[in-house]
Amino acid sequence: MSSAHTVGVTGSGATGPRAAAELTDTPAPRTPRGRRRKVREKYSWRESLAGYLFISPWLIGFLTFTVISMTWSLVLSFTDYNLATGSQTPAGLDNYRLVVEDPKVVTSLLNTFVFVVLSVPLELVLAMVLALLLNTVRRGSGLFRTLLYLPKMTPAVATAAVFLLLLNGNEGAINAVLEFFGIPGPQWLSDPSWVKPSIVVMGLWGVGGSMVLLLAALRNVPKELHEAAAVDGASTARRFFSITVPMISPTVFFVVVVNTIAALQVFDQAYLLFYRDGNSNAPDAALFYGVYLFQQAFQQFNFGLAAAMAWLLFVIILGITAVQMLVGNRTVHYEGGR
Amino acid sequence: MTATHRSTTLDGLHRLRRTPQQRLRRGLAAGVLGLGLLGTAACNPAAQNPAPAPEEGGTDFASAPTGSLLISGYNPSDEVAQSRADHAEAQLADVEISLDTTSFDTQKFAAQAASGDVPDLIRADRNLVATLADQELVQPIDECFAAHQVAPREYFYPATVDDVTYDGAVYGVPEFFQPSALLVNTRVLEEAGVSLEEVSTSDPQAVVELGERLTELDGDNPTRLGFDADIPGSAAMWMTLRGGAVQAPDGRPTLDTPENVATLTWMKELMDAQGGYPSIKSFKDSQDVFGDANPYVADEVAVATWAQWYVNVLSDYADDIELAAVPITDASGQPFAWAGGSAFAIPTAAKNPAAACAWAIEATSTDAWMAAGEARAATVEEEGSINTGLFTGSPVADQAVREAFVTTSGNEQFDQVIDTYYQVLSNPRTRGASAVGEQIGNDLENAVVVTLSGETDPQTALTEAQASSTRAWEQSRAGS
Repeated sequence: MSSAHTVGVTGSGATGPRAAAELTDTPAPRTPRGRRRKVREKYSWRESLAGYLFISPWLIGFLTFTVISMTWSLVLSFTDYNLATGSQTPAGLDNYRLVVEDPKVVTSLLNTFVFVVLSVPLELVLAMVLALLLNTVRRGSGLFRTLLYLPKMTPAVATAAVFLLLLNGNEGAINAVLEFFGIPGPQWLSDPSWVKPSIVVMGLWGVGGSMVLLLAALRNVPKELHEAAAVDGASTARRFFSITVPMISPTVFFVVVVNTIAALQVFDQAYLLFYRDGNSNAPDAALFYGVYLFQQAFQQFNFGLAAAMAWLLFVIILGITAVQMLVGNRTVHYEGGR
Repeated sequence: MTATHRSTTLDGLHRLRRTPQQRLRRGLAAGVLGLGLLGTAACNPAAQNPAPAPEEGGTDFASAPTGSLLISGYNPSDEVAQSRADHAEAQLADVEISLDTTSFDTQKFAAQAASGDVPDLIRADRNLVATLADQELVQPIDECFAAHQVAPREYFYPATVDDVTYDGAVYGVPEFFQPSALLVNTRVLEEAGVSLEEVSTSDPQAVVELGERLTELDGDNPTRLGFDADIPGSAAMWMTLRGGAVQAPDGRPTLDTPENVATLTWMKELMDAQGGYPSIKSFKDSQDVFGDANPYVADEVAVATWAQWYVNVLSDYADDIELAAVPITDASGQPFAWAGGSAFAIPTAAKNPAAACAWAIEATSTDAWMAAGEARAATVEEEGSINTGLFTGSPVADQAVREAFVTTSGNEQFDQVIDTYYQVLSNPRTRGASAVGEQIGNDLENAVVVTLSGETDPQTALTEAQASSTRAWEQSRAGS
């Protein structure tokens, strides 16, 4: 979809014959004022209905699985929930007090923040490198794109099973490769210092998702800009930082925001690598917020406490995303301005 | 692409200015949504149909069971489980039985309980039963035992009954009692010039020295473990063996006692003497425990702590290994049989508790175990392997099965091993029940791991574990 087309539809906000007139450059038919309003309302109602019907599958899913679930969890966070009877006893702010007082919440939050700081930039850089490489490929690019995206489609359980073998400190393939280059490999899965890097490494397996987005953005950068800069004598690096990066910055920003949110919710990688047997024989370094929340809900049946933890995480994610939006609005370049 | 992103993902968040009409519509929509939520809450199946309280006389456990019965967590995957299920089914001729063969999962059970649609009978780890009882998710079954003329503390090992007793009532039917002992690779011992008599757990320091002496390292990584104490899995056993306890008789956590701190310090010394926990864990993770290159065939271990079931695995490799068993003993040399295991429990909201009770009683009866023993003996004869015995939750059944089916195998080593596991049953021990048993176990394992991996010291780790378990205890019904 071209920019002009996008602006033509979304910029005016008009609907019905007026919108059609804008798109076709045909003047809107003149009608008496009252009749015109009726026609507009009639069309507006029909179009609204059609629109709602079109989005109704999503709307029903959103209401059922997001809005209602979130509201229910908010209610739960202020209660003691008895699973056997389905009854709730008002608990005021007790659950939130317990969350704040629990040192494991602090530990798990810190672990999660460290994971975010490690994984988000690393995934962005790797995705960018792969996208840049793929952008230069002319023949067979579809094949490479598919191959690099395939890991993203692999179930997390299968990925974890493979990485349990790859990351074994004594017999794992990753340490075997490191040893080939004379580098002694660490105990990825049992040395607390290497627990989070091991989860980051496993997360990079799914870098294809970010890569595809960045590749699409790279393909949309006008060649004329690069050609003009080359004529002016700009080096490859200069063209990358002065043309490519600004032009794809909205996508980069999108990837950063989405990956940050995903990293703050990290659960499956950590759970499958370290807590798959339902026990806790893992170093504290592997205790992520999502894992601890799960333990509270489904091992201890403390649903009120778990709901309070979920809402604390929601507020944290909201805050971090808001900061990212503020920074992004100042640094991201939008084609055609804001 | 970029313009589309801008309009759909970013700018939309800034377009929050509304006209009064839009605000009115939003207000109405919010109202409707709120009413919907209230309706949804009112329609919560669990809230609308609270699970029936186990009133006295509410269930006639003595009546002939009828109807349908859904059992969760029981998988008749081998001849022992299948023959017991067949026996129970034959006794409950008027009951339509269906099995959910996946292992018991607390998350799944929580969802079932929330929806009010639970199985009639669950098979879960005994450590979980008291937690489920504290949450009122399973019901006491003293009347079930009485109706079927079973005296639980006489028919089952009392320690297993303790595991499923909460607030004075029994909530579960114990199933297995798989005691632990030391399985010794005598080939490795001979190579190292160590006699079998030197293998003993009575002296903690001697265990550390033995482990160090029998371990082989390649750099920092072990290629053979001298003494595998199954840590952290058996941490509670070692603490109990050394005079400590992870919980009080009433279920209150007691993780940070001086005895437990001393035992955890010993665990750290034992691990460090053999290459350190991170290396040992990676080494054990890479072992082919059930295969042709298992640690005893590959001489990757000298002495290891194993529950009895592993003898059955090793019996397939009797010609490739040299094996002996040594009881785990306390400081006075007294044998000590520690075990966890599973139990059957009846959910509070079960639709057919009478049939569930009858099935659980029948599946753990001596007749059922005899049928299982017979099936196992037939399999052993057909495969030409060794009958290592069945270790049930009942001394009565154990004795009957042993006398009827566990004969001398002709393999002296295995006969000694099998005999040792039967001998240690004279002193059965378990952790006992706690409303936060799962949490205590998790906190203990976590404390052990953070200590062994060098994140903290034993005292700090156990203090933090105690604080965590105490928080859970104070939130439980038993502790509040």
